[in-house]
Amino acid sequence: MGNLNPTVVLIPAHNEEATVGDVVARVRRLWNLPVVVIDDCSTDRTVRIARGAGATVLPLTIQLGAWGAIQTGLRHALRQGYRIAVTLDADGQHDPEDIGTLLRPLATAAADVAIGAFPDRASRARRFAWSYFRGLTGLELEDITSGFRAYNRAAMIALASREASLLDYQDVGVLLILRRKGLRIVEVPVAMRPRAAGASRIFRSWWVVGKYMLQTSLLCIARVGFNPLPPPADD
Amino acid sequence: MITYQLTSMAIGVLLAAAILFLVRRDHLHGPYSLWWIGVAATVALLGFFPRLFDLLASKLGISYPPILAIVLGFSMLLVKILTMDLERSRQERLIRRLAQRLAMLEAQAPAPNGADATEHDPSHSPSTAE
Repeated sequence: MGNLNPTVVLIPAHNEEATVGDVVARVRRLWNLPVVVIDDCSTDRTVRIARGAGATVLPLTIQLGAWGAIQTGLRHALRQGYRIAVTLDADGQHDPEDIGTLLRPLATAAADVAIGAFPDRASRARRFAWSYFRGLTGLELEDITSGFRAYNRAAMIALASREASLLDYQDVGVLLILRRKGLRIVEVPVAMRPRAAGASRIFRSWWVVGKYMLQTSLLCIARVGFNPLPPPADD
Repeated sequence: MITYQLTSMAIGVLLAAAILFLVRRDHLHGPYSLWWIGVAATVALLGFFPRLFDLLASKLGISYPPILAIVLGFSMLLVKILTMDLERSRQERLIRRLAQRLAMLEAQAPAPNGADATEHDPSHSPSTAE
């Protein structure tokens, strides 16, 4: 964690008072990295607990969803001059121990983005969704929806762009932008702990899943053969 | 005896007057008011000369002129709705980025008198005990 490669940990949180404090404290204790919690309009004590555990809190005034919150964190990280950003969920399912594993490919410049993949844990429905999107996009990744990722500065700039602001999830749309910018993505297998509290934001109900599948399919198809855009404006 | 011509004139004038009233009162933002003044002019013109459609339809080989009016009107509505959604998407992007920027600024300068002041207004969190 030398000063040459300042790293920040970004944690989007929406009503995660039960777990966010523990996650922040574990990251601080294990890695001594600065932690930024992006509060997506929580109505519980998430903000207070996160601050108490030593995190900087970015309080969103409008609920933007998981990706909107992460993008907020990425923009903040760029402004603060961080070179690497790690994202993990506030619900405790990503083990902060694995941050080191995640950072290794970036440290050796083997990749621009590292994704912590948990293929073994996935339900059949989720596996089906992954293979469907793999087929649709040609992305060669196992775990498309994992929110446990590390981005280097080039990836952070690509994802802080206006272009990425209309995305709703940190998954296929984000990966397609990264691929289009020619950034290298690797998957790193990591252990995953059962979710301590709350429910997945995406795989919640059939209605939400259906909407998600349709919207994401359209996103994939709409981007077929899409050529690189001019470099994004900073803000 | 009210004629077809009178009815059509009344509708045209009323619509045009309502639109012009709203534009004058500054209820419509620039580019929208332009579109709507165009609509007002068209509606007034067609109200006074409803035969225009008969003429146009015969030139275009349409045997039942009212359908031309309906199809054209419907197409214009579709175009308008499409541009509205484009505008809404543009605004959604702006609003999201604005909210992000605001969060970034609030993190740099937390509200005075403790952190809790930056949390949401009381009406949003009825269960907050502390």
